[in-house]
Amino acid sequence: MGTPMSKYTLIVTEKPDAAKRIAEALDRQGKPKKHKENSVPYFVAQRDRELVVVPAIGHLYTIVHERGKRNHYPVFNFKWTPRHLAERRAKHIRNWVETFSKLSRDADEFVSACDYDIEGSLIGYCILKYACDGKEDSAKRMKFSTLMKSELEKAYEEPLPHLDFALIEAGRTRHEVDWLYGINLSRALTLAAHRWSGRYSTLSTGRVQGPTLHFLAKREKTIRSFVPTPYWQINAEAEILNSVVEAEYERKRIETKAEADTVVRACAGKTGEVVKINTRKVHQKSPIPFDVGTLQREAYSLFGYTPRRTLAIAQRLYLDALISYPRTSSQKLPSIIDYKKILSSLKRKRAYNKLAKKLLEKKTLKPREGAKEDPAHPAVYPTGNLPEKPLGIPEKRIWDLIVRRFMAVFGEEALKESLKVHLDVNGHSFFLRGRRILKDGWITYYKPYVRAEEVLLPTIKKDDKVRLKRVLREDKFTCPPSRYNPGSILKKMEKLGIGTKATRAEIIQTLYNRGYVSDERIVVTDLGFDVIDVLGKYAPMVTSAELTQELEGKMEQIQNNSLKRETVLAEVVEQLKPQLEQFKENEETIGEALTKAIKRAQAQERIVGKCPNCGTGNLTIIYSRKTRKRFIGCSNYFKGLCTTSFPLPQRGTVKPAGSNCKACGWPQVLVWLRGRRPWRLCFNPDCPLKKKRRKKQ
Amino acid sequence: MKCTVCGREAVEKYCEFHEKAYQNIVQKFENWKGATGVSWKEYLEELVENAYTGCWAKEVALSLLSEIE
Repeated sequence: MGTPMSKYTLIVTEKPDAAKRIAEALDRQGKPKKHKENSVPYFVAQRDRELVVVPAIGHLYTIVHERGKRNHYPVFNFKWTPRHLAERRAKHIRNWVETFSKLSRDADEFVSACDYDIEGSLIGYCILKYACDGKEDSAKRMKFSTLMKSELEKAYEEPLPHLDFALIEAGRTRHEVDWLYGINLSRALTLAAHRWSGRYSTLSTGRVQGPTLHFLAKREKTIRSFVPTPYWQINAEAEILNSVVEAEYERKRIETKAEADTVVRACAGKTGEVVKINTRKVHQKSPIPFDVGTLQREAYSLFGYTPRRTLAIAQRLYLDALISYPRTSSQKLPSIIDYKKILSSLKRKRAYNKLAKKLLEKKTLKPREGAKEDPAHPAVYPTGNLPEKPLGIPEKRIWDLIVRRFMAVFGEEALKESLKVHLDVNGHSFFLRGRRILKDGWITYYKPYVRAEEVLLPTIKKDDKVRLKRVLREDKFTCPPSRYNPGSILKKMEKLGIGTKATRAEIIQTLYNRGYVSDERIVVTDLGFDVIDVLGKYAPMVTSAELTQELEGKMEQIQNNSLKRETVLAEVVEQLKPQLEQFKENEETIGEALTKAIKRAQAQERIVGKCPNCGTGNLTIIYSRKTRKRFIGCSNYFKGLCTTSFPLPQRGTVKPAGSNCKACGWPQVLVWLRGRRPWRLCFNPDCPLKKKRRKKQ
Repeated sequence: MKCTVCGREAVEKYCEFHEKAYQNIVQKFENWKGATGVSWKEYLEELVENAYTGCWAKEVALSLLSEIE
């Protein structure tokens, strides 16, 4: 760094990787000096003047209750404070705050270079206001969508004259509203259960958590009370022009078994003829560019990555300057993005060489765009940079997906042909279906990710003879609606307008962490049901999607400067007051219901599987107060029906594994010992694997 | 009154959750009878075995079967 008296520009960034990129882009030589202050890294770059680029690590400030007891509600007074003063696990934040404070003393210019969205703007604002001692009004704002050198240089040379206060106000309001809902309702739930049982368990809900759990519970109720109805399907194999193809019966669903049997008897082995052939050509438009939601859904359906994982991978690719900012809701690629330059750059990679060349041969490049817009960022697109170091498999996959999608949006329409051949066999109608691609169009670019199988039929003419070689009756049942998965729940949240592109994945994770839902195909637990039941009775507004949609609308109005933050906060307080009073009045009933639910959930967590001896009891992990030892025992022991028990390791943690032993089929437990990898244990003393091992020894 | 299946507060014989499952069972019986000619007992046995039956509906079917037996 320069002499102690020299002044410099302090650039606030969101993360260390971003700080490094920005410093490298702005330094004349591309080699900024790395320094450390209290183990916080920062970079000094030389340009027209000295630039000190300091990173945060996400939010350094949070909201806390201004004064009063912890175990009390309602609370409506709050303040922003450094996270290390509010959260037990955020002690390290102190160093970051102190570093900003120290480095701000000798700075005479301040620039926020955090991500250009609500969260990024708020991170920069809090640091400038609190850590840099009120520099939020004089600071400038760098606006960029990629971490490419050229874009960063432009953003530095032509910054916005001041911070984006409308975005900041919207961000502050969102955090404050969420805090008001979250703290009051979570305290109400937790304290009700605590006062009834004397035991402490964390229960939470919030403005977005509530409605999300509500619609998950609604679907779960339908699934759990579902009663299937039988129906029958007829499948046939047709022999035509020396080929055998699958034929389907005219009716997809036959209501009675007798009727299905009549069709089978009438058609099996019989010869019929082709009565009609319908061909249809379908033009399929190219896909639209990725916004964060569609990227997350596509990655889940193709690779099984959860939305949270996809976002984390995309964030790493963004920090490596390989893609544009991923937390965008835009489906548009404005022409300011130099498509040709990006494609020319991608051409350097062998896998994309031919495809990029093909697009570059076009006279004009016009992307197909979706309807959604985002004022801050365009849709996700590759920057054209190639990886400087080999990417890991997940990064490689997501980058390839983004690159191919980017190319596909410039592709021409694909042309597909579908063929429906109508057969008449003994007075019954059957169909043969074929489909093929006539012109690849955009599919050429997106091929590995297109799921369209071709079904080729022989050349069939009207009056051709067809023999139904085999006719089969298939017994079927109506199915319950499918469970939400991490991809479809995201789509539903987007459709209902609850949460934001940046917070949805996090909310889903919280539902898992609280034990309200489990499994990849989301199952609502009993605890989840009881929490939603209590909220539905005593604070119904919190579970309604309308309330959160309304608030999202208000947040947008704040962003557009047409509504004041204070007005929204006052409204929220007025909404919450009567609900919390009702909660207080019924605290005892709520506490009892929640305590029972928690106990049921805890008991459920200890069930290993069915008892192999009595067949009706559940094998459960039991802690004996008398011997202070743990073992597996049958739940029927307490009814005096079964005395089955098995010993367990006394050290480490033991939990049901949710799997069965491959050798004997008994349920297994998972054992964790400090410093060792967890292992699955079969507690069957007569397990053939154990016997084998004993023999070997 | 407690639900005869799970012990939660009951609306009538069953709690809110199992009551809905019970109603579905009664409602769908006519479809089953028309399609396969099963008796009430056979129908309940089928439901207990069927992979698509929801767990609350299965519990109610089991409870109804135990009442018959």
